[in-house]
Amino acid sequence: MHPLAVPLVAYQILAAILFTIGVVGVLVRRSALIIFMSIELMLNAVNLSLVAFSRLHGSMDGHIFVFFVMAVAAAEVAIGLAILVAIFRKKETANVDDVHLLKG
Amino acid sequence: MDLALIIEATIKVLIVLGFTLMGVPLIVWMERKVLGHMQDRIGPERVGPFGLLQTIADGIKLFMKEDILPSQVDKAVYFLAPAISVITALVAMTVIPWGDTMSLFGRTIALRITDVNVAVLFLLGTTSMGVYGIVLGGWAANSKYPLLGGLRSSAQMISYELAQGISIVPIIMMTGSLSLAEIGRAQEKMWFIVPQFFGFLIYLICAVAETNRAPFDLAEAESELVAGFHTEYSSMKFALYFVSEYANMMVVSGVAITCFLGAWFGPVLPGPVWFLLKLAFFLFFYVWLRGTFPRLRYDQLMSFGWKVLLPASLLNMAITAVVMVMRG
Amino acid sequence: MALELILFSFFALIAILCALGVVFHRNPVHCALLLVGVLLSLSGLFILLNAQFIAALQVIVYAGAIMVLFLFVLMLLNFRGESSVLSPGAAKGFGFLFSLLVMVELLWTALSPNGGEGGGMPPVAALPADFGSPAAIGRILYTTWLYPFEITSILLLVAVIGAVVLAKRKFA
Repeated sequence: MHPLAVPLVAYQILAAILFTIGVVGVLVRRSALIIFMSIELMLNAVNLSLVAFSRLHGSMDGHIFVFFVMAVAAAEVAIGLAILVAIFRKKETANVDDVHLLKG
Repeated sequence: MDLALIIEATIKVLIVLGFTLMGVPLIVWMERKVLGHMQDRIGPERVGPFGLLQTIADGIKLFMKEDILPSQVDKAVYFLAPAISVITALVAMTVIPWGDTMSLFGRTIALRITDVNVAVLFLLGTTSMGVYGIVLGGWAANSKYPLLGGLRSSAQMISYELAQGISIVPIIMMTGSLSLAEIGRAQEKMWFIVPQFFGFLIYLICAVAETNRAPFDLAEAESELVAGFHTEYSSMKFALYFVSEYANMMVVSGVAITCFLGAWFGPVLPGPVWFLLKLAFFLFFYVWLRGTFPRLRYDQLMSFGWKVLLPASLLNMAITAVVMVMRG
Repeated sequence: MALELILFSFFALIAILCALGVVFHRNPVHCALLLVGVLLSLSGLFILLNAQFIAALQVIVYAGAIMVLFLFVLMLLNFRGESSVLSPGAAKGFGFLFSLLVMVELLWTALSPNGGEGGGMPPVAALPADFGSPAAIGRILYTTWLYPFEITSILLLVAVIGAVVLAKRKFA
């Protein structure tokens, strides 16, 4: 047996806590940038969980998944920040409550 | 976790730390003297023999200077930024080998502080974190010139990081390992500069750009943008930025020596002495570049990094891969 | 054993504190720096889990490039701090309640007898020698996972083009 020195449950609980903090950030903050950072926090919590399980099963597929999550997160951040910059130029505010042009 | 290992590691850390911190005044002295002679003047010569104590005198002046804390700065970030620069530069020194092994008191001591098996990635990581020291230093000052200088400087560092990493990849391909000790040992027969000459040139240019040295020092030169990102820093914090710049130069030269110039191998003298000689040559080369070339304008710099160096390093990697496959 | 436990608790504590700081702090640049702190402590945890390549990648890509991009946008666009940090009234209450539900659900799954150990599968007998090393990742990335790899490269190209087009100033 090649057991983890720290039990897997500990990693799962940590990932759950980090994910929840990210969810709180997305739902409660009003600045678009902070919401973005909370999304990154959620992605990282998932990465932690993936790596922990990958270590448990001795399979590298978890690491590959994390690799792709990082690549997609990079792409998402690039596009998201570009959109944010475009909106900020028009409206001078990063507050998500103020961007309601499509509201009926 | 035996006691001997801890003692050994502590001594090695102290040696490297001492070498770096004592080496910085020497490099500064050499720079001023060599630049002076290249510009047909003498350079410092009054304080101590050949002006050797000039840097110590400057250091004392820097410590004694009033530590100005501008009122509008963001205090936490203002204190953090130079610390990040220095910490990343010194941490990067831990994986650079200066010799193979040596036996002392019946123990084989590896002549490096540590050797991670992903040492090259570790170095790339610390270089990436070093960017924060600059960008935060520029931002913390809360004024437009340092901010612009900091952003320009960090954009330059990020752009040249790519070509730098990719130019090391053929070396990794030829050695089959990311560990710097392995790469060093693999050059026993032939230094990697021979098959990888263009890779070496690309790495050299990227190294100069990474450390924000002339001719790529537009973002922090004294005659541009006031003083760039470290305008609002005085005395000890400025000294920290100074130390981090020269420590970065040593790190980058150390990597170039380990990957391209045969690490510690050489005919007669022991390994560490050859390493020191090569390091001295590289540092002299840095000063030589500063004394010879005019500064690149910022847009020329960025376009050179993205449009010339990055494709060149990719081409180098592709050609190396093809040749390796053809040779079997 | 004890050393791993100490390191885990250290990194976990820093990660949680920095994460709380990201969500509740007022100054956006401080939030970004605290997020870098989270990323670095997660990188430490990855090393504890034998994932050396992923740990290095986390520092180089996530902390060293993505967060620098965040900081650039923050600094160039000069977002002012908001007058009140959190959403007003009902939205705030609903947000906290919902996240509490999410946490309860995740912890329920983690602490249940089957879910906690990967759906009942037993842990592996012995790790392969090069587990987590770049060589192992390269081996499967270019064989089993080649197709997603190529598609991800096209995705990144699309992201680059998209970012340039979206952030361009449109000259009237």
